[in-house]
Amino acid sequence: MLSSMNLYSRGDKLFVIINMILLGLFTISTLYPFIYITSLSMSSGFEARAGNVILTPMGFTLEAYKRVLSEPMFWISYKNTLIYTVLGTLTSLAFIIPGAYALSRPQLYGRRFWNLAVAFTMWFHAGMIPFFLNMRDLNLLDSYFGIIIGFAVNGFNIILLRNFFEGIPQSFEEAARMDGANEFQVLWKVFVPLSKPAIATVALFCIVSRWNGFFWAMILLQDESKIPLQVYLRQIIVELSDDEEFANTLMSAGYSFETVSAAIIVCSIIPILLIYPFLQKYFNKGILLGGVKE
Amino acid sequence: MSGVRLDKIVKSYGAVQVVHGIDLEIKDKEFVVLVGPSGCGKSTTLRMIAGLEEISDGSLTIDDRVVNRVAPKDRDVAMVFQNYALYPHLNVADNIAFGLRIRKESKDAIKASVDEVGAILGLTPYLERRPSDLSGGQRQRVAMGRAIVRRPKVFLFDEPLSNLDAKLRTQMRAEIKRLHKRLEATSIYVTHDQVEAMTLADKIVVMQDGRIEQIGTPMELFLNPANAFVAGFLGAPPMNMINAVVAKGENGPIASFDGQTLPLPALPDLQNAEGRPIIVGIRPEYANIVTAPQPGSVNCTLNLVETLGSEALLHATVGDDQFVIRTETLGKIDQLDHVNGFTVDPTLIRIFDAKTGKALGGQTRVA
Ligand SMILES: Nc1ncnc2c1ncn2[C@@H]1O[C@H](COP(=O)(O)OP(=O)(O)OP(=O)(O)O)[C@@H](O)[C@H]1O
Ligand SMILES: [Mg+2]
Repeated sequence: MLSSMNLYSRGDKLFVIINMILLGLFTISTLYPFIYITSLSMSSGFEARAGNVILTPMGFTLEAYKRVLSEPMFWISYKNTLIYTVLGTLTSLAFIIPGAYALSRPQLYGRRFWNLAVAFTMWFHAGMIPFFLNMRDLNLLDSYFGIIIGFAVNGFNIILLRNFFEGIPQSFEEAARMDGANEFQVLWKVFVPLSKPAIATVALFCIVSRWNGFFWAMILLQDESKIPLQVYLRQIIVELSDDEEFANTLMSAGYSFETVSAAIIVCSIIPILLIYPFLQKYFNKGILLGGVKE
Repeated sequence: MSGVRLDKIVKSYGAVQVVHGIDLEIKDKEFVVLVGPSGCGKSTTLRMIAGLEEISDGSLTIDDRVVNRVAPKDRDVAMVFQNYALYPHLNVADNIAFGLRIRKESKDAIKASVDEVGAILGLTPYLERRPSDLSGGQRQRVAMGRAIVRRPKVFLFDEPLSNLDAKLRTQMRAEIKRLHKRLEATSIYVTHDQVEAMTLADKIVVMQDGRIEQIGTPMELFLNPANAFVAGFLGAPPMNMINAVVAKGENGPIASFDGQTLPLPALPDLQNAEGRPIIVGIRPEYANIVTAPQPGSVNCTLNLVETLGSEALLHATVGDDQFVIRTETLGKIDQLDHVNGFTVDPTLIRIFDAKTGKALGGQTRVA
């Protein structure tokens, strides 16, 4: 690697070195909390309490995980989060893809107006209370459907995908229409396959925001059996922090409030970590290569 | 029967009219080429036939059915695009099969059709490849395969060869001709390359500024252009144009220009027309070189000789007008640098009105 550095001038070398240092620092700063939480979750309650965990687990134990996984509410909320994420993302895509396609078509009647209407929602919201009242009046409190549909569409994702669709040469649509495709087939058989990277991006945004969705779920869901993981996580942190059981863990030292919280956090991060490599294969560039000659 | 008829077809974009009422009749199995300079409305006309552009006025008939308001998919026409527009996410076989799948043909039928078309176009070894892994010529062939596999009533081509290099273009031109012979499908082909037009067409339609200038077979247009525009457009190099006025000669009308004269054919329009401004059109091939003035020869000043091998192009000036002579080199190579004039058979001269550009009566002799 160093020998290849000969290709660079001195100024370039300096630039590369500074770059590496900055990126290294950045990597450490994003990676460290993750490592810390993981180590914490695997440390003994005593060491955690004492603040001895810095990088690696101290007094390695999986007691915290046992405690977390044996909690029925953990599994209920986990299942709910999966429902919100999977159904929510599918619902979002079902609205966003056709919506973005329609907005990208020059032949859409009143196109400027509709685009403006969608973009408008990116900057202006009704506000918290009106939104809550709206959801309440629509009977969407305490319902899976309310959470899924209430946050299915957002202007940013539509505009993002619309821009991508607009970049796809018009002649693909025309070729498909000459080949006998109707509007729906043009979208489904040409635009969607050609837009996999953009759709994967939008899907990832949806997945992450659903997975981490906390605030509105807390406001809109009273029914314990419907709350997602993040809301449960908060509950447990609030509840357990002054729980009798945990006050005594100094003695038993198997787990503590800190290690249990950390274990829940780790459990809630894992699926997101797993999904990214799966989606990454769609982020390959150059999918449009070779189709048209400009 | 798959005839196409355009009746006073008009295209406007907002207030701007770009195609001004075109009448055109295309017979079954005919290969019609639309030519004209850039922006004259060829693509627009073709796309109206395809159904990709709305027709502003007039009527379009395919197979005795008015299709103005019929969607492209129900017109039974196929189109080959200038930029190919191959689906990048599909391999060659799937690109070709796309239209058949949309039409829900059976798997076996699709496979048979794709294999047949692949064989016709020499694509068999590439059926599994993505378009990005093909050469330009191969992509072009896939685009054609996608069109012919459906056996449509009418083929539309919009400058299908303009992205290929010269050699490949010649090759694909021959291939398109061969395909048309074999499939006998009605074809409408847009190009601004007059060689493609001459070689492919049963009938050429010359357009300018959203209007048709002339319709005819390649040789009709070559020999009897209806006006100076068509004359200048077809043929390479184009027909020479000398600005002149009619004068009275001993044996009939003569053209007078640059202090010289040239005998003209005895057209009725030229009788008693002394002083009338005209354009004398002479094809580069029809001028015979001379190295010393002869009776009836026209003097010119030689500027440049381009030797192309079996023939040469002589660039000269007659008065203020450019004049190109195309001549064989065999046995004349020593004379080429000393050319100072030319003679021309009066029956091969075309004459146009200087104001309107319209050809003045009479037929060029068909050699
Ligand atoms: N969407 C449009 N809006 C307004 N004018 C247009 C539009 N599309 C085409 N035109 C105009 O219509 C005229 C004809 O265009 P067209 O594309 O048919 O030309 P063409 O003969 O195919 O030229 P070329 O050889 O360059 O392809 C041009 O003057 C063009 O500017
Ligand atoms: Mg064009």
